[in-house]
Amino acid sequence: MSESQVALRLGFGLALLCGLACSAGAEERFFEVRAKRFAFTPHVLTVNRGDTVRIRLLSEDVHHGMYLDGYGLQTSAYPGHDGGLRFVADKPGRFSFRCSVTCGEFHPYMIGHLRVEPNTPFHLLVLAVLAVGLIGWGVATLRRQQEEPSHDR
Amino acid sequence: MLIATVGTVLGVLSAEKFRRSRLFTTELIAREPNHGNWYPRTITVKRGQPVRLLIRNIDTVTHGFALPDFAVGAKEIKAGHVETITFTPDKVGQFPFFCTVWCSPRHEEMRGVLVVE
Amino acid sequence: MTDKLFGLVDLNARLELTRFKPVRALFKSRWFPLAAVLVNTFLFVVILLACLVGGYSAGNYNFGIMIVWILWWVMLMFVLVPVFARAWCLMCPFPIFSDWLQRGRLLDVVPGRKPFGLGLKWPTRLRNMWLMNVAFLMTTYFSGFMTVRPMASFILLGLVILTAFIVGLVFERRNFCLYLCPVSGFQGLYAQFAMVEVRRKDPEICRQHKVKTCYLGNECGHGCPWLLAPFNFQKNTYCGMCLECFKTCPYDNMGFNLRPPGADLLVDNPRAPRKLDEAWKAFIMLGIAINFYLAFQGPWGWLKDMVRAATWSGFLTYILYHTVSCLVIIPAIFLGFAWLSKRFSGNREVPLKNVFTNFAYTLVPLGLGVWIAFSLGIILPNGSYLLHILSDPFAWGWNLFGTANFPWTPVWTAYLGYVQGATMLVFYLFTIAFGYRIAKQTYPTLAQARRGWTPIWAGLTALTVFFVWLYTG
Repeated sequence: MSESQVALRLGFGLALLCGLACSAGAEERFFEVRAKRFAFTPHVLTVNRGDTVRIRLLSEDVHHGMYLDGYGLQTSAYPGHDGGLRFVADKPGRFSFRCSVTCGEFHPYMIGHLRVEPNTPFHLLVLAVLAVGLIGWGVATLRRQQEEPSHDR
Repeated sequence: MLIATVGTVLGVLSAEKFRRSRLFTTELIAREPNHGNWYPRTITVKRGQPVRLLIRNIDTVTHGFALPDFAVGAKEIKAGHVETITFTPDKVGQFPFFCTVWCSPRHEEMRGVLVVE
Repeated sequence: MTDKLFGLVDLNARLELTRFKPVRALFKSRWFPLAAVLVNTFLFVVILLACLVGGYSAGNYNFGIMIVWILWWVMLMFVLVPVFARAWCLMCPFPIFSDWLQRGRLLDVVPGRKPFGLGLKWPTRLRNMWLMNVAFLMTTYFSGFMTVRPMASFILLGLVILTAFIVGLVFERRNFCLYLCPVSGFQGLYAQFAMVEVRRKDPEICRQHKVKTCYLGNECGHGCPWLLAPFNFQKNTYCGMCLECFKTCPYDNMGFNLRPPGADLLVDNPRAPRKLDEAWKAFIMLGIAINFYLAFQGPWGWLKDMVRAATWSGFLTYILYHTVSCLVIIPAIFLGFAWLSKRFSGNREVPLKNVFTNFAYTLVPLGLGVWIAFSLGIILPNGSYLLHILSDPFAWGWNLFGTANFPWTPVWTAYLGYVQGATMLVFYLFTIAFGYRIAKQTYPTLAQARRGWTPIWAGLTALTVFFVWLYTG
C-alpha cells in the first residue's frame, strides 16, 4: 500500500471514530424491572433523551403489566413469562408507568417513574411560574399607586 | 322517596334473581387460593342436561377458566367481571377444571372438580 | 375606585341569575332541589348496595368506589366547588331522612309545625370547623382502604349517613351538615373561591322587613336549615344553597349571583371574620394533597405498603406522620413566613395571629389548584373504568349500556404533567392576586403591605414550584 492510501484509510477511520463518539450521547439502556405487589423495582428509571431503552419486565408474584404514559406502550408479565419493551426515549419529561393488569386491590396505585433527561417540561413550568410570579410581584409592589389600601367590604 | 330507596333495593335484587333464574344453572365464584379458591369447589351436574355456568370473579386479580374434558373455557375473567360458559356434559365421571391466568403464588392450587352423574 | 382582578374583572361585579324567569321559577318551586336530592338518593342506594355486594373485590371494577372516589370526588374538585360553591349540598341525599322526619313531609310545608326530634342547639364552642378538621383528617387515614375496598367505602358512607340521621334527630335543622359532615369542611372553605353566591338583593328591603321569614319560615318554605341569616350573611362558607330563602322571602329579595372567583377571600369583618379553624382547614387540605400524591401517585412501594397497612407499625407510622405534617409542620412553616412578613413590613402593631390567619387564605386558591391537579391524576388514568361499572354496577354480569367489557384505557396521560403544571400556574395567579390584596388589608400602610407581602409571595412561589416539581419533576 502506498503512503497516501494508508493516510487516506487512517483519516477515514479517524473520521468514523469521531462520528461515533459524537453520537455516543444516545446510548442503549437496559433495565430489568421486577414487579411485585404493589411496586416496581427499580421504581425510577432515568435515561437521557434519545437513548434506546429496553425494559424487561419480570413478575415475582402474579400477572402484572406495564403501561408507559406518554409513549403509550404496554407489556405484561407473570412468573416464568417475562414481558419486554423497546423504544427510543425521544420525549423528555417524567412519565409514569402503571401496572396494566389488575393484580390486587392496590393495582391502580402501582406506579413507577421514567425520567427522560433533561426534564424540559419541568424546567419550562418552573420558569413559567417564576416569570408569572416575578411579573405579579413587580406589578403589585413597584407600580406607582395612588389608592389607599383597600378596606373590608 | 320510598321509591328511591327501598324500591331501588328491591328492584335491583329481584331483577337479578330473575336474571339468574333465566340465565344460568350454576354459579361459580372465582377466588384465588388464599381467598377461598373456587366456590363451590365441586360442581355436580347431570349427564345430558345443558349446563350454563356463570363464573363471577369477585377477586382483585384476573382469573381464567378451563375445563379441558369438555373443551370449554374462558381465556381471562378480569376482576369484577363475569363470564358464562355453556356446554352439555355427555360423559359421566369426575373432571377437573382450573384457573388459567397466573393469579397468585398459589395459582396452581386453584382447581376444582366437575362431577357428572 | 373599583378593584379589578388581573386588571380585567371588577371584583364587585355580580350577575343576578333569578332575573331570568326560568331560573326564578325553578328556585321558587318546592320540587327544586328536592328532585335532585331524590335522584341522588337513588344513586347512593345503588352505591351502597354495590359496595356491600362488592365486599372485598377489586375497587376499580366496583360501581360504588368508582362513582364516589373517581366521579363524585373529581366533579366536586373540578366543577361543583370552584364554580358552584356548595352546590353539592344543594343536592346531597345524606340529610334527607332526618329532614323528612323533622319536617314531617318531604314536599310541602306545614307552617308553624314543631319539628320532630329533640331539636337541641349546637354547642357554641363547636360552631366552627375544628370538629370537621379532625374528622376529615381521620377519614383520610383510611384512604388506602376506602378507595380500593368496596366494603370500606360501605362502612364509611354508611357511618356518615347514619350519623347524619341521628344528629338530625337530636339537634335542630342541619347541624350535621354545618359542623360534622366530612365533605362539608373543604366545601365550606373552598366555596369562598367559587363563582356563585346566594345573597340578599336589596338591603333596604330586608331592613324594613321586620319578621324575618327567611330565618323563621312560612307556608312557602322552611326557615334557613343552615341557621344562617339570609338577609345579611356575607360568605359562602356555611350556605348550603338549599334555596329555602328564595321560597320564603315575600319580596323576592334573595339573589343568586354569578361573580368573579375568590370574592369571599377578601371579606373580613366582625360578622364574617377570617378564622383560625378555616386557616387550619387550608393547611390540612394542602397536607393531605401532598401526602396522597406521594402515596398514591408516587412510585414508592414502601409508602404504599404503609398506607394499606401491610404492617401495623407501618400504618401507625404513616398516620402519625400524616397527622403531624397536616396539623403541625405545615402550619409551623407558614407561621415562619408570617413572622418574616411582619418583620419585613416593619409593622409592630398588627398581631402576628392576624398576619398568620389572613395570609392562610392565600392557600385557598392554591389548595384548589393542587386538588384539581391531583384529581386529574386520578381521572385521566382511571376514568375508563367508569364505562364498565355503568353497565355492570354489581359485578353480576349485567351489560346495561353495552360497555361492560370496555378495557382500561388511560386518557391523555402523556400530557398529565403539563396539565397539572398548567393548573398550578393558573391557580398560582389567583393566589398571588388575592395574596397581595390580603396584604393590603392586613397592614395599615401601602409601604408596609408591599414589604410584608414579599416573604409571603416568596413562600407561595416556592410552594407552587414544589408542587410543579411533585407533578412533573
